[in-house]
Amino acid sequence: MIRSHLRAAMLAAVVALLALPAWAAAAGEDFDPSLEFAVEPYWFELTLGPFDLSINKAVIYLLLTTVILCVGGIWVVRGGLRMRPTKAQNLVEMAYEFADSQIGRATLPARAMPTWFPYLATLFLFIAVNNIISFIPLPMSHEADTFPGGLPDLGLYAATANINVTLTLAALTFLATHVVGVRAHGPGGYLKTLVPDAPGAVKPFIVTIEVLSQILRLVSLSVRLFANLLAGHLLIIMAAGFVILVGSVVGAVAIPFAVFFWVFEWVLVAGLQAFIFALLSGVYIGYAMDAPH
Amino acid sequence: MALEGNIVDAAKALTLGLSTGLGAIGPGIGVGYLFGKTVESVARQPELRGELLGITFLGLALTEAITFYALLMGFVAFFLV
Repeated sequence: MIRSHLRAAMLAAVVALLALPAWAAAAGEDFDPSLEFAVEPYWFELTLGPFDLSINKAVIYLLLTTVILCVGGIWVVRGGLRMRPTKAQNLVEMAYEFADSQIGRATLPARAMPTWFPYLATLFLFIAVNNIISFIPLPMSHEADTFPGGLPDLGLYAATANINVTLTLAALTFLATHVVGVRAHGPGGYLKTLVPDAPGAVKPFIVTIEVLSQILRLVSLSVRLFANLLAGHLLIIMAAGFVILVGSVVGAVAIPFAVFFWVFEWVLVAGLQAFIFALLSGVYIGYAMDAPH
Repeated sequence: MALEGNIVDAAKALTLGLSTGLGAIGPGIGVGYLFGKTVESVARQPELRGELLGITFLGLALTEAITFYALLMGFVAFFLV
């Protein structure tokens, strides 16, 4: 069962990837994979003072994720939940149970579950769906000369391969940890949890390290997700377009690698990174709540 | 043989290659060690397989992320500087 699904996915990947370089070659220009990650206004431009509110590629992926999650959730729940679940209900229940047991209960103290489990589950589902749809070729490339009507070529892109998106998600978690900490210990008490028991002379150093590690969480959370997705997409695009990068047919040897990376990233990395992000958010929030004194 | 191009481009390309390659050494050892230990543990206590796999993949994600930090710095040097 699983094997036949995997085989179908592999076949789809081969077809999609074999087609990618052909389109790029048809463009007859230099093929530069890094251009795929430039965010230019895609649909319409809108700037309010210093803020650029244009609808670009990343925004479209974010909106797409939101629509999939909202419509999917409403459709499954409104469609009537059954004792003998349908496939869609099964999937939703599996996702819920996984988030509940592996992320929520594994990291949060029991009294934080009602408040913060929804946040963690939302993070998990949002990033997971975002990553999963990012491996489907959509008309999002920066070039537009294959399809009529100015529709862009098929390309791979992920909103999570944009540091702005992941940094915002990390900032939410960062904010949440401090809100939780202040609520649980009071402002003064929370500051005191940053000062561990140590001999007086070493204390300043330890406090510095503690504060630094709080800020580095922001960096490590955002960069882990961003770099994973960026490197994954770049590898796939480069390997698939290696014929053009090298300029001879010999480059076709890279296409199996592209298929391999594509399946590997889709099956393993997409879900895993979402899981890690939500899990670490939970660990940080739980720690801020029950910080050792 | 006369060389074309400028030395800054060469340095950028070298930086990308070196940072990625050197940055992959440590995590490579780490991931190998991680899965080796998991195999050992599962051989010792096969009934803990599911639980151990979960922890292993958490460790995998944390370890391999280090490769990407190096790769990212390479990209910064190559594309942004």
